[in-house]
Amino acid sequence: MADEPLNDEMKEIVQDFLVESQEVLDGLDQRFVALEKTPDDADLLNEIFRAAHSMKGSAGFLGFTRLVDVAHHTEGIMNKMRQREMAVERSVVDTVLAAFDVIKLLLHDIRETGSDAHVDVSDVVHKLVAVLEQDTGPGLLAQGTTVIAKPLQNPGTLPLGDGALVRETAHLAAAETRGSEVELPEATAQQEASLPIAQDGGRDKVASDETPDKALNKQGIKSPASEEDQTIRVETRRLDHVMNLIGELVLGRNRMMKLSNGLEQSHESDPLVRELAETLARLDLVTSDLQTAVMKTRMLPIRKVLGKFPRMVRDLANKVGKKVELELVGEDTELDKSVIEEIGDPLVHLIRNAIDHGLETPEERRAAGKSEQGTVRLEAAQEGDRIVIKISDDGRGIPVEKIKAKALARGLVTPQEISTWARREIIDLIFQPGFSTAEKVTDVSGRGVGLDVVRTNISRINGIVEVDTDEGHGSTMTIKLPLTIAIIQALMVAVERQVFAIPLTSVVEAVKLGPLDIKTINGREVLTLRDHVLPLLRLSRMFEIPVQEKSSDVGYAVVVAVGERRFGIMVDRLHAQEEVVIKSLGDLLGKIQGVAGATITGEGKVVLILDMSELVHAMHPLGVRLSAR
Amino acid sequence: MAINPIMKILVVDDMATMRKIVKNILKQLGLVNVEEAENGKAALDLLKAGKFDLVVSDWNMPVMPGIELLRNIKADAALKHIPVLMVTAEAKQDNLIEAIQAGVSNYIVKPFTADTIKEKLDKIFP
Repeated sequence: MADEPLNDEMKEIVQDFLVESQEVLDGLDQRFVALEKTPDDADLLNEIFRAAHSMKGSAGFLGFTRLVDVAHHTEGIMNKMRQREMAVERSVVDTVLAAFDVIKLLLHDIRETGSDAHVDVSDVVHKLVAVLEQDTGPGLLAQGTTVIAKPLQNPGTLPLGDGALVRETAHLAAAETRGSEVELPEATAQQEASLPIAQDGGRDKVASDETPDKALNKQGIKSPASEEDQTIRVETRRLDHVMNLIGELVLGRNRMMKLSNGLEQSHESDPLVRELAETLARLDLVTSDLQTAVMKTRMLPIRKVLGKFPRMVRDLANKVGKKVELELVGEDTELDKSVIEEIGDPLVHLIRNAIDHGLETPEERRAAGKSEQGTVRLEAAQEGDRIVIKISDDGRGIPVEKIKAKALARGLVTPQEISTWARREIIDLIFQPGFSTAEKVTDVSGRGVGLDVVRTNISRINGIVEVDTDEGHGSTMTIKLPLTIAIIQALMVAVERQVFAIPLTSVVEAVKLGPLDIKTINGREVLTLRDHVLPLLRLSRMFEIPVQEKSSDVGYAVVVAVGERRFGIMVDRLHAQEEVVIKSLGDLLGKIQGVAGATITGEGKVVLILDMSELVHAMHPLGVRLSAR
Repeated sequence: MAINPIMKILVVDDMATMRKIVKNILKQLGLVNVEEAENGKAALDLLKAGKFDLVVSDWNMPVMPGIELLRNIKADAALKHIPVLMVTAEAKQDNLIEAIQAGVSNYIVKPFTADTIKEKLDKIFP
């Protein structure tokens, strides 16, 4: 097999190997962290041993010799540990961890180049061998259990499949165990006896002119299918394509519904039109179901992302000299694959921040009357049609006054301006680009390294991130994400002749405005609604839409909420609620501030979809100031 | 050749990739009547449910390792006639002796080629 050219089947097997190995590795870091707590857990040791062992087995077939080399020695060490021949020590575990890191590199190499020949493994192999040798006493060597490669090196003495198998192995057996010679002939006799039965059994199945294939199928149906048979691996590219097609289908359906509604009004009495409407109603239902079903095929548990965190937390805590306990809750919460892909980096960032800046050193914690070990908790859950991920720590929290002082010191705001800000508006400053990178952040906010990047990344998948803090007791970052990012419910609104789509998940309510409802406070237009003051955003100003006369003062305010912050978007007219498919604006237009993408309406018009998190950014007093410059 | 082309083979391995590789090699020998199980326990259930002519089993698996599967097969009057070909990662003498004592029909060391497995099958089905 190894000398055959890489045919499609082989390529597929290599793909499977990569996916399966990745799955094995994903779970492994957590095992290692657990191992440090319970070093004598035989199951853990066994699992880690098996990970190296299985990868070695498959890699051997696929000709990945370097991977085999590293996995082989790693397996050797794990074998000794699980056999209690080697103590589970930090230094040894570190070496094994390093080996698995190299294995990750090798897998990456295979994924990129199809071969594992571009990663230098000599260093790690030396280290592994050193660990193996330092601990191998002469007594162990003699037993032949520890030097695994030894028997392979002299196959001449080994019963490798020639006719002498049973006899030669019998010698081995006899040498070590009494009574084995008696058992061996028995075993052989059993095989001989079994042969005719097996063949008869086989013939039975082809009797009555069934072809082997038919017989096969029959058996396939009869025998209980193993779990493996009930799942298939599908390339993401294909699922993406299906999702795109569904998007087009939804657009087509929307257009059809509009046309049908029009027909119903103009040709009310025509039975054909009524029939068309009924048929479309069914199509509508099926399309929605199809959309949900396809969406579900793309869902993955967030565990996939969280798997690497225990190791990361362990390493980082060691590095910064803090004691950290990571709690993961809701690992089975499912998210769209595209969301899963995007959420990893922001989560890493937030967890690093929590450990690096949020948590205190053991001494500081003791002085503050807390336990030396800090806790970082990551909690994922589905709430309605969105996913909420909370990252909280029990550290020092964010000093609001210091943020304020810094904003003032840097001349970002005037004292009068900041006096009108709500507390959360001030805390929100930590998400401003460049706010906390100029100085050592720990002096000011305790947080903030590139938090603006986190917010940008999360808003790219239509999510929002908010922060809350209790000074002295810790902070919580809350991320809210949509279940899917391709198709959303939207409220269609119009300003002058321009139609916009507002994602319905953000919409709280819509209120009719009179000319006197709008007040101005500190140069900001606001609306007082049931004793709450809401800042107002004029889309006409934001997108520079020419306004006809003064008529635009009378219209509607769509109240939207982004996290805890609410504001009103001023529009002229409210249209229907519609299911819209988000399409990117394309490279030609690039990124437009406040626009998440575009869609095609039931009428066949192109409509811009508003990006709420960017709008709230613009609504932030500082945001307005910055964009006004 | 005594190898019956439609004989029913059960491939037991915890790694899906390995099962696929073994299936692929068996296919090269014209053996396509193959089912899979991911550990010894799942294999036993399948063996009890349907007539199998050969078991190709990995050694190291969670839940029920290969050696235990072998012992279970040999301890079951209805199954003990089924030849078992053990796949091991390396020819460790201790393991081999254990397997032979338990009644293994033959064993094969990873990685192997279609030719090697054919040799073994020729010995099991002379």
